Amino acid sequence: MSATAPSEGFGLRGSTLTLIGIALVGLYLFPVYWMYISAFKTSSEIFADPPTMFPENGTLSSFVWIFTQEHVGRYLRNSLIIAVSTMALTIVLGSLGAYAMSRIRSRAVDVALVTVVVLQTFPEALLATPMFVIFRELGLLNTHLAVVLATTTKTLGFALVFLRPIFAQVPFALEEAAFIDGASRLQSFRLVVFPMVRVGVLVVAALTFVMAYGEFVYPLTLLTRAELQPAPVGIYQFVGAEYADWHRVMAFASVFVTPVLLIFLLLQRRIVSGLTSGALK
Amino acid sequence: MQTRRDAAILWLFLILPVGYMVAFVGYPVVYNLVMSVQDVTLGNLATWDRPFVGLGNYVELIANERFRLVVRNSVIFVTVNVVLQIAFGLAIALYFENRFPGARYMRGLFLAAWMLPPLVIGALWKWMYAADYGLINYVLESIGLSDGPIYWLSNPDIVLAAVIAANIWFGTPFIMLLLSAGIANIPRELYEAASLDGAGAIQRFRFVTLPMLKATLLAVACLATVYTMRAFDLIWALSQGGPIDASNVLPLYSYQLSFEQFRFGGGSAVATFSFVVVFIVALLYVRTIRHEKAM
Amino acid sequence: MLRRRLLCASALVACLSAPATAQTTVDLWHVFNIETDMIHQAIKDYNASQDEYRIEPRVLPFVQLQTELIKAVATGDVPDLITVDNPVLVSLAAQGALEDLTDLVSESENIDPEVYVEGPWRSNVWRDQIYGVPRDANTIGVYYNKDMFREAGLDPESPPATWDELRDAAQTLAGDGVNGIAFSAIMSEEGPFQWLPFLYQAGGSLDNINSPEAVEALQFWVDLVESGSASPDVVNMRQYEAANTFMAGNAAMAISGPWELPRIEQEADFDWSLALLPVKADKNIRASALGGYNWAIPAGAENVDGAFEFIEFMSRQDVLQNGWDTGRLPPRTDITVPDPRWPEAFATFNEQLQTAIPRGPHPRWPEISKALQIAIQEALTGRKSAQDALDSAAATINPILQETPL
Repeated sequence: MSATAPSEGFGLRGSTLTLIGIALVGLYLFPVYWMYISAFKTSSEIFADPPTMFPENGTLSSFVWIFTQEHVGRYLRNSLIIAVSTMALTIVLGSLGAYAMSRIRSRAVDVALVTVVVLQTFPEALLATPMFVIFRELGLLNTHLAVVLATTTKTLGFALVFLRPIFAQVPFALEEAAFIDGASRLQSFRLVVFPMVRVGVLVVAALTFVMAYGEFVYPLTLLTRAELQPAPVGIYQFVGAEYADWHRVMAFASVFVTPVLLIFLLLQRRIVSGLTSGALK
Repeated sequence: MQTRRDAAILWLFLILPVGYMVAFVGYPVVYNLVMSVQDVTLGNLATWDRPFVGLGNYVELIANERFRLVVRNSVIFVTVNVVLQIAFGLAIALYFENRFPGARYMRGLFLAAWMLPPLVIGALWKWMYAADYGLINYVLESIGLSDGPIYWLSNPDIVLAAVIAANIWFGTPFIMLLLSAGIANIPRELYEAASLDGAGAIQRFRFVTLPMLKATLLAVACLATVYTMRAFDLIWALSQGGPIDASNVLPLYSYQLSFEQFRFGGGSAVATFSFVVVFIVALLYVRTIRHEKAM
Repeated sequence: MLRRRLLCASALVACLSAPATAQTTVDLWHVFNIETDMIHQAIKDYNASQDEYRIEPRVLPFVQLQTELIKAVATGDVPDLITVDNPVLVSLAAQGALEDLTDLVSESENIDPEVYVEGPWRSNVWRDQIYGVPRDANTIGVYYNKDMFREAGLDPESPPATWDELRDAAQTLAGDGVNGIAFSAIMSEEGPFQWLPFLYQAGGSLDNINSPEAVEALQFWVDLVESGSASPDVVNMRQYEAANTFMAGNAAMAISGPWELPRIEQEADFDWSLALLPVKADKNIRASALGGYNWAIPAGAENVDGAFEFIEFMSRQDVLQNGWDTGRLPPRTDITVPDPRWPEAFATFNEQLQTAIPRGPHPRWPEISKALQIAIQEALTGRKSAQDALDSAAATINPILQETPL
């Protein structure tokens, strides 16, 4: 725990921890490594016995195929549009709701929480048909908006459940002080509360982004036109009736995951700096 | 010092997200409920004019030994997943809470597991689990831990554990990140004070980390339950619920009834059954946080 | 309706890019994601050949086609034309989800039931009405690794022809990380697809599924696994996974179909060949599985005529002859494939197709199939004896068949 070693200089203990850390991450992410190298293997090598740790007859053909297909860029762009919009909508609704839940003292909050938690438990595969009906009535089929609205039902529950305790940690006293100074509820939310919870909000936002980025069922159902489809639907195009092009699946998945993973790693730094700036001190 | 307008705004904040969920998910839920008490076929699927069968679909389910097996699997799947995801998630989060070079980046890397599409995770684990050419058996045999192949996905006694392990691998990073955020919010002063009072690492964990993390842990447990309750794609890609339903769970079973066997009423009844179970979990969750407030 | 507006918009774009009269769009959902499948060129050719209809394809992942179709039926927003895995067609038809094509077929010059191979055609007929037209046909045979045959001292030119020979060969070939034979007994339609030929070879039948013959057929598979000739993982192997283990040199033989040929040609770096499914010596009944896709028009489709015209186009000699390039056999007897790729395999699979038996056709086929899948898996995993497993299957299947016979 960080508190056991206030962080001056890393020294031997730091190096040991780093080494163990690397080993842990390496072991844990082995399947991810497997994904990357499988993209370079031929399909019979994928099933070779014994398994090969490194492609023996490495081929770039899957990646060449991916990058010479204009569709891949289109799939990724669609994923990005859907993920960013879903994240924005979720965070706005989720923050407001979580703030209210942490401030209202009433049974209604319990009812609201149960409602939200329960409503997100149906597997999407079963929700997809009625969702289709809703969005057809709204005239939104074949729009990204429909997918964003539908996907937000998956992410909003998560955001509320997780943001509520974060908002609850902001002491009432701080807000009281702001009110005495004449601040309105909105001002207090914006100027006092939000800066104190932004780390938590950032984490929730990032996770919401990833959830929406990987969404499969709703786009498949609500978008019938290929040019609107996001990448997770695109990945399925290689899984055919009688066989799957696994090396292409893996190549596409690598291209799909890597940029987001990199962005996420950069974002980690933001989270760290948010912490060290002493938001909660 | 709250004005009436301020209070109204607070309620508006609350109603917006809850109203949103009710508006978009309420209808689908009702849709399922209604189908679960009807005799639904492809022929009458487009109309609402279907024979009412009361609780017939439910009675048929409960009499079905396959359904009972699936319920048993689901209970094991969810319980083990929630407990172990939280345990592993907490362990990893605490480890990378230590300050050492690269700690934050490594912690972020874990999330790669959670980002992969379920189709890809299913395929990767299926290859690794393959008895004859799979990596796991290869490693176990090389280091002498087993002398014959283990049939991870084709032995009905093992397959559920194999599927659970893959799902824990997939779900833990997410849980870990949520817990990390919770840990980051614990004021450092508390640890310093505890240290001054002579508390060791274990005591600090017990008397500082755990109590301060309680709200987060509850939220995480609730979320993990909901997510594993509806786990679907990964199991489908990995074992299709087989062999002989030994790794089948409620959402997958419901999907198979509705979309593979055209037994829409039965499929909806299974979904409604899960819904009731989660409703109970949600009530427990809310009760617990009310206690927590009262403290 | 936005959907219609969008369709108009896309039609408008088409009008602007190519001067044509107002075209009717025919929505086609299919599962053929391989670029070389005959459907892709045919759609282009058809769209270019006339300007009354425009085929608008939507390629769906195989497992999603049925799901999407059910959603479409539920919401009344159906496409005009779909491809259906043939055992499912009659269950869709019996539930009223498909248009009756009987009149259109009787008026058609190109589509004559007489010229179709019997099995594929039968899979479209329910209560004497026609609900589909075969698009392609396939069946299964035994791929074998000639190099491994030689190494094991077996004659690569005379592959196993009977059950006993297959069992012995598999036993001889197995060992040292190599399975004698790979097949698919997975919990999906593919399991019964591969097992039912053995049932018929043994003289068994679906309406007497716990007969001694049926038990023998299931026991034959059980013995292959228990003797170590086949991997217990067959219960979790899809057909392409069985074929993959063969291509990677992990199995000396594999039961699979012609769709694997392009891949085997590319991936297998050994000498291989193909044999007919074996017969049971004392019965000498040839039987194989019938697979393939049929064209069908969902009930309530807006452009039945356009869809049917495209079906007729897809049933022409110059289109169907291209199916074999991706291992799809023509479903009709009057089609010649000039200079076929893999000529020997073409001959073998065509011969096999003559004895291919359709699954069903039965409106409740998915439930029958599920009962078979469970029985196969119970026996192969040792949960039940072959007899007990099939007794349980009979308890499910017999009432269904009593209500509606095959």
